[in-house]
Amino acid sequence: MKKIEKIPDENPFKVPDNYFEEVNRRIIMATAGDTPPVKETGIFRRLRPYILTAASVTGFILLSYVAVRYFRTDIPDSGSGEIYAANYAESYINEIDLFTLEESASVIDLPDYVSGIINSDIIDYLILESIEISEIYEQL
Amino acid sequence: MVEKYSSRLYWHIRRLVILHEDADDALQNTFINAWRSIGQFRNESAIYTWLYTIATNEALTLINKRKRNSAVSIEDLGSYFENSHEGSTWFDGDEAQIKLQDAIMQLPEKQKIVFTMKYFDDITYGDMSKVLGTSEGALKASYYHAVKKIEKILGES
Repeated sequence: MKKIEKIPDENPFKVPDNYFEEVNRRIIMATAGDTPPVKETGIFRRLRPYILTAASVTGFILLSYVAVRYFRTDIPDSGSGEIYAANYAESYINEIDLFTLEESASVIDLPDYVSGIINSDIIDYLILESIEISEIYEQL
Repeated sequence: MVEKYSSRLYWHIRRLVILHEDADDALQNTFINAWRSIGQFRNESAIYTWLYTIATNEALTLINKRKRNSAVSIEDLGSYFENSHEGSTWFDGDEAQIKLQDAIMQLPEKQKIVFTMKYFDDITYGDMSKVLGTSEGALKASYYHAVKKIEKILGES
């Protein structure tokens, strides 16, 4: 058994007779005329729930606005969608035609009077002069 | 509240400050401070735990004040127990209890508080943690070391 457990656990400290009755009376008398201070709530504390609600709503609106502006793609106005597609298609077609032209030019036997002109020169000319492929087809 | 808790709080304070007069002062200050700050009690802990915290702080304040004023030194308190058999003090313990109180007084302050709360008041580590603001693990370690230290002192005496 540990030494400390061998020690009797009776309280060796003593108090004067009727001490607790007397100290209770003294404490009650000391606090009787003492009103606990009422904690005043400031105006900010009272309005805090409303301010926080307003801040949350404002924050939500702001975030939504930023999200919409950031992730929104530049979609043209209604009616121009078809034009946009047509423009894209036209340039795509032009690119295809140029590619096709390049391929075709490589297998074409050019007459003598055009000898010396390499295929890439033809294509470069067409691009620089902004000649539409459709115009060439019309001439053929 | 006063009638219900004054006795328990007094004995807790008394074991820390030793002298009856000091314990009396600290007990009154405890209830007066509790009364004045009752509006700040948030029901997060039992009211006894809250009072216990105030009482512990009052005891520590008094001990620190005593150290600063040098009115009563550790040696004086030691003789307080040794002279108890003369009936001049509010202490009536046998030789073993005198030696135990002497050993407790040699503990570091925080360890002394942990030991008295656990050994005499049987406060749970959970409640002790709320009172002292220390983790339960640290309190258990502190109590363990306090017991070892006291047993060593008792063995040497």
